[in-house]
Amino acid sequence: MVTHEEIRAIANLAKLQVPDEELDGLTEDMNEIIAFADTIASVQVEDEAYEDVNGLSNVLREDVVQPGLSAEEVLQNARDRDENSFVVKKHA
Amino acid sequence: MSRYELVAGLETHVELATKTKIFCGCSTEFGGEPNTHCCPVCIGLPGTLPVLNRKVVEYAVRAGLVTHCEIAGVSKMDRKNYVYPDLPKAYQISQYDMPLCKNGYIDLSNGRRIRILRIHIEEDAGKLVHSRGNTYVDYNRGGVPLIEIVTEPDFRSPEEAREYLERLQFLMRYIGVSDCRMEEGSMRCDVNISVRPAGSEALGTRAEIKNMNSLSFITKAIAYEYDRQCDLLDSGEEVVQETRRYIESDGTTEGMRGKEDAQDYRYFPEPDLVTIRISKEDVEKIRASLPEDPDARAKRWQESFGISEADSAQLLRYRRVADYFDEAAKGLKNAKAAASCILGQMFRRMETEADKEKFETRVSAENLHALLQLLDEGKVRMNLVKSTLEKMLDSGKPASDFLSAQDLEGVSPEELDRLCTQAVEQNPKAVADYLAGKEKAVKSLVGFVMKSTRGRADAQKAEALLIDKIKAQA
Repeated sequence: MVTHEEIRAIANLAKLQVPDEELDGLTEDMNEIIAFADTIASVQVEDEAYEDVNGLSNVLREDVVQPGLSAEEVLQNARDRDENSFVVKKHA
Repeated sequence: MSRYELVAGLETHVELATKTKIFCGCSTEFGGEPNTHCCPVCIGLPGTLPVLNRKVVEYAVRAGLVTHCEIAGVSKMDRKNYVYPDLPKAYQISQYDMPLCKNGYIDLSNGRRIRILRIHIEEDAGKLVHSRGNTYVDYNRGGVPLIEIVTEPDFRSPEEAREYLERLQFLMRYIGVSDCRMEEGSMRCDVNISVRPAGSEALGTRAEIKNMNSLSFITKAIAYEYDRQCDLLDSGEEVVQETRRYIESDGTTEGMRGKEDAQDYRYFPEPDLVTIRISKEDVEKIRASLPEDPDARAKRWQESFGISEADSAQLLRYRRVADYFDEAAKGLKNAKAAASCILGQMFRRMETEADKEKFETRVSAENLHALLQLLDEGKVRMNLVKSTLEKMLDSGKPASDFLSAQDLEGVSPEELDRLCTQAVEQNPKAVADYLAGKEKAVKSLVGFVMKSTRGRADAQKAEALLIDKIKAQA
């Protein structure tokens, strides 16, 4: 069973703030999700070999340069910029 | 003998020399203005889809083959999740449990084998510059293809780590998958270090030193960290498992605050990319495209050409030089002359390592071969080869432009005899000196003969003949 502490840890990793009153509901949801994954994991399969989920493999592109975006386009939604760089608060 | 043994492993990131990024067509060129090699895929805009670069798979397989790895028939990409401004998607596409290559090795000169656990492919993160309390973000490097080469904890000294890295750097350049320029960050290293009582098999608690990009820093950091951990154990303290940073200014390491939480990357299979399947035939095709094994090549040069070990190492160091040498020396009796032309006169014109790596010269391998063919046939002598090569290097023209019919005639025995007689007659002082016991005096007579033949005469034959003539005269 998933605990409140684990829900808080997961939310923290995802940079989400979870109000205490939502913890019960989220914990219940998460337990259901994990139970569903357990159901899938319990299916007996004979062949252990890795299978392509979508039946596709080796979708590859050639190593040829394609035009990209201009720096102006890249930076157009930046909250803060200095010349061509994004600027963010310093991280540890 | 110390009471503790060093146990270290390396994780080396090598940037692949593809033209484009791993999942999009943006250029991988180093040093552009910030955020000018970017597109919706590599800045992580919603709704975009990555497509794997074929060359990345091929280069990683090449790297695997040259380090004796098994190549996985089936491989896949995974998401490694973490939130940091260098990663616009908040996840890095990497490989978790099904890497492209595994179980390889690199042998060291002391006979020890460093086992390679795995080589996987992944995307590089963007570049962060921290300054004035801010962080400046450039995504040009984001999405540049990397291979990460992970060893077992097999290093027992800083010197072993250095040799391994030098060997790795050489191999990656030799097979053309990376330029491995540590100063440009195209080869970077994380080191895991622990110590244990000598003779013990158990592993101690390890510290990890992140992201070093200089061989000398890496060896110094390992040496410092070894001492630090030994001191801790000696004073009854414990080594803390943590990430540390190397301080370049004083050669020490320090713990990185804020990294204490055990990282939880929540890896899962990348749903936007499909399985990578590599058939045995594909692997063999790539193997066949690799250049000759460098050790076998050096051995071949030493055995069939008589090239010294030091010279063959020099020639092998730069792939273009090695290929040029093989082309120029092919079929020559005196292949050593080709080596000496390249390592002497040609290298003298190339100042930096980068120049030698590019090896741009105006003399084609074919033209050098033609010049040395004349030496083989006895039509010219080494000093004439050298002066002619200088002219060829200046002009890019073939040897035939500088050697007259007379130069190529050589010197007939009659002419040599006549010139030696002349030398003895015209230099009575040298003759007298020789007869008085100054054997070196004969050299000036040899010089006279060489000068009158513009270097075409055989100096050894001339010397023998001169001595005969002096003795006959006495």
